[in-house]
Amino acid sequence: MNKQYSKLPGINRRQFIQAIAAFSASWPIAGIANIESLGISHTETYKNLSDPWLTIASVQEHLFPAGDSTDAASPGAEDIAALRFLQNMLEAPDTESEEKTFILNGVNWLNDLSLKNHQKKFIQLNTANKENILRQIETSNAGYRWLSLMMGYLIEALLSDPVYGGNKDQQGWKWLEHIPGFPTPTIDKVYFKLGAHASPRRRIKA
Amino acid sequence: MSKDYDVCVIGSGAGAGPVISELAKAGKSVLVLEKGPWLSEEDFFKDEMACCRRSTYTPNLEDEQHVIEEQSNNGNWVSEATSESGWDFWNGNVVGGASNFMSGYFYRLKPADFRLRSEFGDIKGANIADWPISYEDMEPYYAKAETEIGISGQVVAHKHQEPRSTKNFPFPPTSEHPIVKNIDKACDALNLTSLPTPRAVLSRPHNGRNSCEYSGYCGSYGCHSGAKGSSRAALLDNAVATGNCEVRDNSKVYKLKTNAQGKVVEALYFDVNGKPQTATAKQFVVACHAIETSRLLLSSTGPKHPNGLGNNYQQLGKNLLFSAGGSGTGEFHYSKMDQLTASAMKTRGPFVNRGLQDWYFFDDKAFGGKAKGGVIDFLLRHPNPISKASSAKYNDDDNLNWGQPLKHDLKTVFTGSQDLRFEVFNDWLPTDNCFVSLDNNVKDKWGSAVAKVRVGYHEHDLKVGAFLADKAETVLQQMGADNIRSSVSGSPPVNLVAGGCRFGDNIKTSVLDADCKVHDVDNLYVTDGSFMPTGGSVPYTWTIYANSFRVADIIKKRG
Repeated sequence: MNKQYSKLPGINRRQFIQAIAAFSASWPIAGIANIESLGISHTETYKNLSDPWLTIASVQEHLFPAGDSTDAASPGAEDIAALRFLQNMLEAPDTESEEKTFILNGVNWLNDLSLKNHQKKFIQLNTANKENILRQIETSNAGYRWLSLMMGYLIEALLSDPVYGGNKDQQGWKWLEHIPGFPTPTIDKVYFKLGAHASPRRRIKA
Repeated sequence: MSKDYDVCVIGSGAGAGPVISELAKAGKSVLVLEKGPWLSEEDFFKDEMACCRRSTYTPNLEDEQHVIEEQSNNGNWVSEATSESGWDFWNGNVVGGASNFMSGYFYRLKPADFRLRSEFGDIKGANIADWPISYEDMEPYYAKAETEIGISGQVVAHKHQEPRSTKNFPFPPTSEHPIVKNIDKACDALNLTSLPTPRAVLSRPHNGRNSCEYSGYCGSYGCHSGAKGSSRAALLDNAVATGNCEVRDNSKVYKLKTNAQGKVVEALYFDVNGKPQTATAKQFVVACHAIETSRLLLSSTGPKHPNGLGNNYQQLGKNLLFSAGGSGTGEFHYSKMDQLTASAMKTRGPFVNRGLQDWYFFDDKAFGGKAKGGVIDFLLRHPNPISKASSAKYNDDDNLNWGQPLKHDLKTVFTGSQDLRFEVFNDWLPTDNCFVSLDNNVKDKWGSAVAKVRVGYHEHDLKVGAFLADKAETVLQQMGADNIRSSVSGSPPVNLVAGGCRFGDNIKTSVLDADCKVHDVDNLYVTDGSFMPTGGSVPYTWTIYANSFRVADIIKKRG
C-alpha cells in the first residue's frame, strides 16, 4: 500500500538554508554571455537568451545531453524543454523566492570559477572542462545543493506532465517507454491551482 | 453562530465519515469542520507533481508542522521541527482526509488482535492491553463497511481466516495483473496460501460511483472515477444530500471549550479568512488524525480538565502507534523473458491483489513459542516516473549522476525489468517512547502550539518484521527474481498512525471508554484511529471505518 516513510527525499530545508548562506558573499557578476559561444546548437529555443538563462541552458545540456550510446535520437535538455520547465517552476506561486535567488546566484558563482580557472565563461568551455568545473563545485556544500536542484528540475522536466512546460511532445515518456495514467491534468487544474494553493470554493449546504 | 447542531464533527476522513453519514441519515443536524479544502473527482488527475512532488493536499510546513523527537546514537531524545528536516507528517488535509489518497488495502483485525495481552502475554517495555470490546462486537460493522464503503474481494478459506457474518464480499475482486499467476504458482510450490487482497475500490458501479478505471495509479492519488472508497466519495456526498449535513471546509478547530461541569459547549475555529468563529452542538466528535486529535484535546484545557480533555490521568497522547515492518523488492528482467511474457509483465493498470497471512500467528523457538506475526502484501513498484528516475540521481560513489551515465541508468530502471515489491505489516508495540505532546516553542500559522511526536519503537517489532521479510523473500526467490533485497527499520511510516487516546474500562489507564466517549466528558467522542490500544498487523483504515459505524449507532441511541 506504499508505506510512506518520507516525502521529497533530498530536500532538507536546513541544508538548503546553509547552502544559501554560503552564497551570501557577493560574487563578481560575470559579463553577459554571448549566444554565439554557446557550445550547443543555435536553435530557436536558445535564440535571444542572455544570462543567467544562457548559462543555465548550457549546464542543463551538459547534465542531460541528447543522444546516448544505444540511441542517438534519445532526447536532451532542449528536446524536453528543460529550460522552459525550470522557468515555469521558478515562477510557480509555491516556489520560495530564496530558491529562485539561490539558483540564479549559482550562475554567477559558476561563471566566476570558470573565469578564474580558464579565463572563459562556462558556456565557452569545452565538454571536458565543463565536466571538471561542475565536479569541482559538487564538492562544496552549496555547489552540491545547486547541482542537486538542477538535477531535480531536469528529472521533473523529463517526466512530469507536459502541462508544466517540460516533457515536450511527451518525449521523456516515449524515450523511457513510460505509460502515463489518465486523466492527465488540464491547465486550469495544475497543482498550484488546487488544494492548499487555491482560493477555496464554498459549497455549503445550510 | 446561532444554530445549535445535534452533532459537531471535527475532521472528515475515515474516522469521521461513518458518524457523519449515519447521523445525518438518521435525521440529526450535523456540522462538519474540516481544516482542508473541498476537492472532488473533477480535481483529481494522474499528475505526479500534484500528488507527490509538491505539497498540494497538505500544508506548507512553514505554516503548519510537527516537531519530531528521535533517539540519537547516545540515547538522548533529540527534537527537530519538520520545517527544518523536511520530514512531512501530514497525509491528506482535504475533505475526506487521507482516505482520498490511500491504496485501499483493506484487512480486518482478527479476534486475537482484540486480546493481544491475554493471548500472547506481556513483552518487557511494551504497554500491551486488551481491547474493552471483542471482535464479535466489531464484526457487524466490518460487514457494514464492505457495502457502505465498497470493498472488493474474494473470501478464501485459510488457517487464520477471521469469522464473517456474510459469506463473501459484496463486490468481486478488482482486475488482476498477469504477475499474480506467478505469485500463486510460487506460493503453491512453497505450500503457502496466496490470498486475494480485499480492496476499498469498486469493481463495479455502486451508489452513484463509477467502477475502477485501472489507470495503474492508485495509492497517493485522488480518485477520478469515484471508485476508491474515500470517506468523501463513499459517505460525505450522500450525507450532504440528506440536507442534514453542513460541511465547512477550510475551518481549523483549535480548541474545544468546556463549562464548569466539564461538558463541551463550543468548538473554537478559524475560518478561511483566519477569523475566529465558534460552533455549538449537543455532541462533539473528534476525528482529525491520531496525532492532531491528541493535540486538539491537549490544547483544550478547561475548569475540570486543567491538562486537556481526557488527560486527568496523564494518558492523553500516550501509546501512539505506527505500523511496524518494512519492504522488499525483486526484479524480473525482460531480457530473460520471451516477448509475449515481457509484454504481459509490462501491463499497467490492474492490481497485484495478493498477500500472505500464513504467519499472522506462528510458533518459533526464537520467539519463545507462540507469537504474533503479521501480513505480507505484494505490489508492483509505484509507476510514478519522477520518483523512479530519482533513484538514478546518484551514482555508486554517492556523487550526483549526470550525462551519459545517468541516461544509461534511466533506460535500465525504466525498461529493464518489472519490479515486484512486498510490504510487511506487523504490530508497532505501544511503548512509553511513542507519544504526542505539545511543543510550546513552535506554533502554527494561527498561533497554536504544534504537536511534538516522540517516535520510539520496540526492538521486538524489528525482530518480527525481519522474520516476515525473510519469508516474503522466499516467494520472490521461488519466482526467480533477481537482485532480491529488503529492509526492516524502526522508522515510522507517516501514513499509518493510530493510538494516543486508547479506549478501555479504566479511566486511570485509558482516555476513552468502550463507547469511544472521553471517560469524564459526557458529550465528547473520538472516532479516528486514536482509540486503538494495539494496532494489529494490518493497515488501520477498515477498522477505523468499522469503529466509526459502531460509535454512530451508540450516539444514535442517545437520542
